[in-house]
Amino acid sequence: MARKLWQPPWGFREGALFVAGIALVGFALQLTVGYFDFYVLHFPANIVALALLVALIATGARWGDAPLLRWFSGMSFAIALIVGLLVLAFYMELTPQAVRPPPPSAGWVARLGFASVTSSWPFVLLYATTLLALGIAVARRLRHATRHDFVFLCNHLGLWILLAAAGFGAADMQRVVMYVREGETEWRVYNKNEEAIQLPLAIELKDFRLEEYPPRLALIDRASNKPQPEARPDYVQIDPTRTRGKLGDWNLVVDEYLHEAVRIDGEFRPSPMPASTPAARVTATNALSGAVKSGWVSGGGNVAGFYAALDLDDKSFLAMTAPEPKRYSSDIVVYPKDGKSVAARLEVNKPLTVAGWTIYQFDYDKDAGKMSTYSAMELVRDPWLFPAQFGMALMALGALLLVWRGAGARRRTP
Amino acid sequence: MSWDDFPFFALPAAALWLVAGVLALRADTPRRRLAVHLPMLVGIALFAAFIALFWTALQRPPLRTMGETRLWYAFFLASAGYLTWLRWRHSWLLLLTAAMAATFAAIDVLRPEIHSIALMPALQSFFFVPHVVIYILAYALFGVATLAALAQIVRLRRDTADTSLFAFMDDAVHVGFGFLALGLLLGAVWAKEAWGHYWSWDPKETLAFITGAAYLVYIHLRAQGRADALAAWALPVAFLLLLLGWLGTALFPGAQGSLHLYS
Repeated sequence: MARKLWQPPWGFREGALFVAGIALVGFALQLTVGYFDFYVLHFPANIVALALLVALIATGARWGDAPLLRWFSGMSFAIALIVGLLVLAFYMELTPQAVRPPPPSAGWVARLGFASVTSSWPFVLLYATTLLALGIAVARRLRHATRHDFVFLCNHLGLWILLAAAGFGAADMQRVVMYVREGETEWRVYNKNEEAIQLPLAIELKDFRLEEYPPRLALIDRASNKPQPEARPDYVQIDPTRTRGKLGDWNLVVDEYLHEAVRIDGEFRPSPMPASTPAARVTATNALSGAVKSGWVSGGGNVAGFYAALDLDDKSFLAMTAPEPKRYSSDIVVYPKDGKSVAARLEVNKPLTVAGWTIYQFDYDKDAGKMSTYSAMELVRDPWLFPAQFGMALMALGALLLVWRGAGARRRTP
Repeated sequence: MSWDDFPFFALPAAALWLVAGVLALRADTPRRRLAVHLPMLVGIALFAAFIALFWTALQRPPLRTMGETRLWYAFFLASAGYLTWLRWRHSWLLLLTAAMAATFAAIDVLRPEIHSIALMPALQSFFFVPHVVIYILAYALFGVATLAALAQIVRLRRDTADTSLFAFMDDAVHVGFGFLALGLLLGAVWAKEAWGHYWSWDPKETLAFITGAAYLVYIHLRAQGRADALAAWALPVAFLLLLLGWLGTALFPGAQGSLHLYS
């Protein structure tokens, strides 16, 4: 006869109902007290909470053979939890997520927690339940571990460490953006209330540099001023290895390309001046009428007088797009409050770590392009990064073993 | 070498794969098996040659746009299907993967993309190529596992479920999940270096979490020893979520601010 609901041993159905129950408690809390404030978990409260969790896990593992705990740390409940988190993540995907939890007046979707799922009680409670159940599963396995448990432990312990470091460390992470003008030194950043905060380090911006890709050519409609065809615009990339292209009925040949040019008496000439702009001399031949047009095309950069388009016919003209950035960098000197100054070139993907702060190339004056007079840098301090990385390293080892051994990496269920 | 030249490589390759897939159905002698190996390998080599030449011409890795990822997907799917056939000899599976790879190649033939050499600074990193390639490799393995799962679902209905087919699905999903996890972890390390945090619940990251969770459900169902319709159905459902994350991220709100939306 089939087992009745809640009749031991419990399985997936009880797990699903239990997870739904936790989510319901979460929604009730959400409606009454509002979004979970991660700031309560800042140091040292997060250490205390983590110690409590570990104590709870150790106790759970000590009595781990009790049917209830076997079920709680077992696979049926794990599947129910994974599905629960999957559903919440799906809500997160479907609802636009607010950067900060919205006020209670923001409507029902927001009040139920969907406007900022990671700060909502259902998510926080399921996350905590995952830490507890996964923790007990790992601890139970550790008590009788053999070498056959190695892959299991890499994957599950690694995930537990990562989730614990990410969850308990969230409140201790600091992220600020600092704007520094060329030739100046800055040590203040502004918070969301526009109040200046002084940092324990100062940054001097010696030089900001920007390199650009060769831009693209586009066929522009005179009436709408939009690139053609409007539904899915076509472009010809200026590429030294490919001088021919086609836009609409026009066959294009790029006769000459100057990456840095200035316009003198209507002609473009190469020049490394800061205000220089890309320019191309193009010959366009109409495939239908045989008409030939030739001349300079340039986006003009920041100088209106450098703009040049090539008139094709009474319907359209040929223009150049704004060039896209290839790389940008800031030559900086960092002065920590106590310690030696560090000079470095900051680039996207090449951050610099000084005195516990990691400094990232973040932004620049997009309108001014390579003439930007300031550089924005993001400064991040994350004291919980090391444990998170340790967890990720364990998971990477576990993943490699999965690739190597396939389903053979799975433990043998008795 | 550009998208203009792609049909000259893709169409013969797709035709060769389909021929190999059909011939595999009757490959019961060494001579007949040779008639599968040859077209499969020539097709894969043609595709690899296009990717290599295209990479050189673009002056950047061809991994930035949707069309470029489809290119790798067709290549990996054909390769994974062929390797699976070498090891497991499921002939129908080779035909199905060949058809799927040909479909993805055909999409790129019908929707050629604009030549662009630009690669935004955020993507100029050591992590770019392994992060994307490993993900697409995982997608290809999950694609093969999904085709096998669909066949298993049909068999379950007829009460003729094949244990060796479940064993194959398990292997493909475990290896695929290993690659998925590696792709995700490489992405996390890269994100820390580029954006300052290893996980931001960016729409694409959220869908990656959803995809990973769906495959974890299958892995745990099977670890419980469940060889039934629920386990078999988990794979097509997970694959739909995967496709949503790969090709459909732009459909979701918040995608405009996504750091993962590159044309």
